[in-house]
Amino acid sequence: MASSYMLPYAQQAPPSYAHPTEASQPRQHHWSPYTENGGVILGIAGKDYVILAGDTRSSEGYNINTRTARKVFSVGSGLILGVVGMSADGEELARKVTRKIDDYKRNHDKHITVSAAAVMLSRILYQKRFFPYYCQPLLGGLDENGVGAIYTYDYVGSFEREQSRAFGSAAALITPFLDNQINLKNQFVPGSNGEQPKQAGDLPRATVEKIVKDAFTSAVERQIEVGDGLQLVTITRAPPRTEEEADDDDWTGAAISVELSPLKKD
Amino acid sequence: MFIARSEYDRGINTFSPEGRLFQVEYSLEAIKLGSTAIGVATGYGVVIGVEKRVTSPLLEASSVEKIVEIDRHLGCAMSGLQADARSMIEHARVEAQNHRFHYGEPLRVESTTQAICDLALRFGEGADGEESIMSRPFGVALLIAGCDEDGPQLYHAEPSGTFYRYDAKAIGSGSEGAQAELQNEYHSSLTLPEAESLVLKTLKQVMEEKLDSKNVQLASVTKEKGFRIYSDDEMQEVVSRLN
Amino acid sequence: MDALVSKYAAEPELDIAEEDDDEVGTGLPQSVSFTLPPIDHPAKFLRAMTDDHANPSAPIKLKHGTTTLAFKFRGGVIVCTDSRATQGSWIASQTVKKVIEINPYLLGTMAGGAADCQYWLTYLGMECRLHQLRHKRLISVAAASKILANLVYSYKGMGLSMGTMLTGVGHGGVFGLYYVDSDGNRVEGNLFCVGSGATFAYGVLDRGYQWELTDEEALELGRRSILAATHRDAYSGGYINLYHIKEDGWVHHGFNDTNPIFWKQKLEKGEFQNVSTTLDA
Repeated sequence: MASSYMLPYAQQAPPSYAHPTEASQPRQHHWSPYTENGGVILGIAGKDYVILAGDTRSSEGYNINTRTARKVFSVGSGLILGVVGMSADGEELARKVTRKIDDYKRNHDKHITVSAAAVMLSRILYQKRFFPYYCQPLLGGLDENGVGAIYTYDYVGSFEREQSRAFGSAAALITPFLDNQINLKNQFVPGSNGEQPKQAGDLPRATVEKIVKDAFTSAVERQIEVGDGLQLVTITRAPPRTEEEADDDDWTGAAISVELSPLKKD
Repeated sequence: MFIARSEYDRGINTFSPEGRLFQVEYSLEAIKLGSTAIGVATGYGVVIGVEKRVTSPLLEASSVEKIVEIDRHLGCAMSGLQADARSMIEHARVEAQNHRFHYGEPLRVESTTQAICDLALRFGEGADGEESIMSRPFGVALLIAGCDEDGPQLYHAEPSGTFYRYDAKAIGSGSEGAQAELQNEYHSSLTLPEAESLVLKTLKQVMEEKLDSKNVQLASVTKEKGFRIYSDDEMQEVVSRLN
Repeated sequence: MDALVSKYAAEPELDIAEEDDDEVGTGLPQSVSFTLPPIDHPAKFLRAMTDDHANPSAPIKLKHGTTTLAFKFRGGVIVCTDSRATQGSWIASQTVKKVIEINPYLLGTMAGGAADCQYWLTYLGMECRLHQLRHKRLISVAAASKILANLVYSYKGMGLSMGTMLTGVGHGGVFGLYYVDSDGNRVEGNLFCVGSGATFAYGVLDRGYQWELTDEEALELGRRSILAATHRDAYSGGYINLYHIKEDGWVHHGFNDTNPIFWKQKLEKGEFQNVSTTLDA
């Protein structure tokens, strides 16, 4: 026993009891509520748009469960949520966020802003601090000024507003690509002798869409848990309100569009 | 009349045959005994004012607190049982901070009023799973002043749990006369200094004591400065403007 | 029998949550309640699932690794941190704001679980604001740190991970600096470094520290100490986040990339001589 505290928990000897017989010993059943369903999501915020994309494969180990799983959800009030990790937890989280955004609208008679929803999601995740959701969420929406916003989270609710972020099994493949293509990390203005860093500017939506598709097609080449299809969800500013829409409570100023395109299926 | 009431006016959970809840109605009467409080909403901000009823020269006037801060963007004037007001205001403050914690933004004025009125109805035995905090209705009415994305707003909340939004509202013992005066004088293009004068002028008419800078208190809620209680100097300035 | 006793005797403070809405009440003033897994030992479960040190294959990897420092001096308090968050050896973020702005007078630093620090320091901000409304004056740093220490102590053993320095200026312009962690420690002091790079930061900070520093010297010392830590501790890096707390509240002194600062330090001041500018040296 003396040295057992050095061992990781799983390898520790069971605690000794007064009558260490087979029957009186409690049996620790292996309780594993978590499954890794793989997949990857990617969010990029632009000056007047947000792109949140996910692949549509859902797997368990080497088995592919479905090729048409959605990982990006519209959660109401012009906001979208991407989830990756365990699909059951992810979908539950999306349902909960949807419900609470709806509650907010009823209680306060207005659409929740993306920044308020970001704090709300953090609190929802932290409520399960001792039994975390096994999923990593990305929240996307247009802020009060119509500027794209992506909020990124860890499992238990620490969050940050970022320009771009990939989560999931191919995050390690995609993130360096984003650092290079979106944030222009470690790139300098030609002729400045490495002293003037390139400034990451406002990329047009068409360019970013191409980068997103490239990121996914490349990830599919090297990650078995990613593939089958690409669900690309975009939020753009809605056209100015028409007269019929003037009293429409559902009008949020955001237009959400979904595009599905194929990825390799092997 | 009183004989007919007596059978039903003790229970807080019993309607009279005419469909009235007498204890709730009596709580409204308690407010009519209270000091007068007035609120005026303008496009620039809301002004609230109260009469202080400094009943003795030995009373420390600054300890009479009838206007309090709920949050930076929310203030409140009260009339009625002050002790009851304290628990309502504590509730409102906690709700406002809770909203900031959960949503990272200030609570709207109407939502604050709603939260206060939710508490107003939590008297009696308490439903299953819900904690009861009062054995009787609250004996206090509040004027809630605040600024949010819809601009400056003034709400009136009663012990019955009902609330309405007002451009200008008076509560307390002098409320009837004061409300009539407000109705005559209010217009939608009032400036903040004009609202200050209107509040004091109206208070002056209904107060028993002679109004001076010590026995009234003003506060304002504006978008820029939030809730602010007027200092002694500012009070002096507004009072002198009146004469 | 013993098994039965131990089953019911162990961690009696925890109820078993069965469903989403069955949450354990904490006796806290606010409506904060947490879901627990429906098993006998929730803390052990959490450790098995999230503690990547004891169990490298834990499915949930929380953000870790840090260098943070804060010290008092004649001109107030300096707070400085790096900005790297790691999940194992993966750099999860280079842009973490490890100084949490609780209110214009109070700052908290983030080490350990990022979410624990963000959540409880924001919660503390709410308590401080309520204190201010109820008592019509700023809370003292001593009182604020005590609220935080009591809060996290009530969760002791359940798996919170937090090492924070709570610092600021309280009622009457009194500066305070307290180290509070999730084990329940609460220590007052003039100078603290917390995190995986703390020893490196202490090395520089202790060497240069004195009470009579000017504001500029103090800011430079904070920056230089974090730079040393980002250089030697692989779990620290990114940007240097610098704050100065004065009598009327804190002032932010930038969120700057370490790399140019390092080269400036080396080339202009002749430090880091061990690092060569060419590969053949």
